[in-house]
Amino acid sequence: MFNVTTLIHTDEREPLLAALRDAVGEVPDALVAPTLPGVRNGGDILMHLRFADDQEWPGVQTRVDEILLAPAVTHVDSARYRGDPVGPDEPRGSVYRALFLRVSADTPEDVIARFEADLAAMPRYVSTITSWQLSRVETATGSSAWTHVFSQHFTDVGGLTGPYLMHPIHWAYVDRWFDPECPDYIVRDRVCHSFCAVAPSHGGSA
Amino acid sequence: MAGPVYVIDRVVTRPGCARKFVDAYLAEYAPGARERGMALCDVLVSPPIWFDEQVNTVTITWSLPSPQAWWEMTWQGRPDPTLGAWWAGVATLIDERTRSVAAAAGDVDELCDV
Repeated sequence: MFNVTTLIHTDEREPLLAALRDAVGEVPDALVAPTLPGVRNGGDILMHLRFADDQEWPGVQTRVDEILLAPAVTHVDSARYRGDPVGPDEPRGSVYRALFLRVSADTPEDVIARFEADLAAMPRYVSTITSWQLSRVETATGSSAWTHVFSQHFTDVGGLTGPYLMHPIHWAYVDRWFDPECPDYIVRDRVCHSFCAVAPSHGGSA
Repeated sequence: MAGPVYVIDRVVTRPGCARKFVDAYLAEYAPGARERGMALCDVLVSPPIWFDEQVNTVTITWSLPSPQAWWEMTWQGRPDPTLGAWWAGVATLIDERTRSVAAAAGDVDELCDV
């Protein structure tokens, strides 16, 4: 699948939500939702679109880009990437979360592979993750040249702010890649941590 | 509630640099770490000789009362560019180092049951 995830900062959320939902109305797997309190660098609107392949995106992109040029849009981070979620076709869960990150450009490939393996291990330990996807970014815009998107469906907001944060797999193992005090530190730019509620009809697009 | 969690700096110092590293760590790094909520447990030097021509291994252990306290500590420190700069400034004293996070064996099951 070809994925486009966009985090939009705006002072006029409701009209922008309506316009974006209208613009992506033909996309079968589209999530356009207000972000929830607690995001960090995550914007006011999260838009996650999935296409069978990248040929379907340009037609939608024209309409989306026109909306995002509006003065009410103050900042946009966006990533395009391929991949499919790991988990059931219709995962339980009421929250979709996307983490945008940039691995430092001087990081050796074998180190990136270990980092990716560590991220991919997290869902085995955090029971509130119902599906997930880790992808390398093909095209990025925004405050960093994002290299990865790590997304999950969570059972609920509590599953994100509780078990995900508090399990030792996170703070005692994976976080060293993000910690400037650790020698393994490779994610040096500020990340985007964004999440929103998911409508029950939104399927397996972690 | 599970017991404390431990932050362990294991630093292999360059020959002749162990005492200088420990002095700098205690004088320059430790005060800010305490302000971020960490309590210093141990500063161990192995072998316990201030070698001139061989490496020493310095193991420094801090404790925090809970994973939540660990997050609060790191959230305070992460935006502070002086922390990374401090480690960069002592790099000439260090051969290699690790930072790990640990807990008592008896607390592992409870920590993982979240």
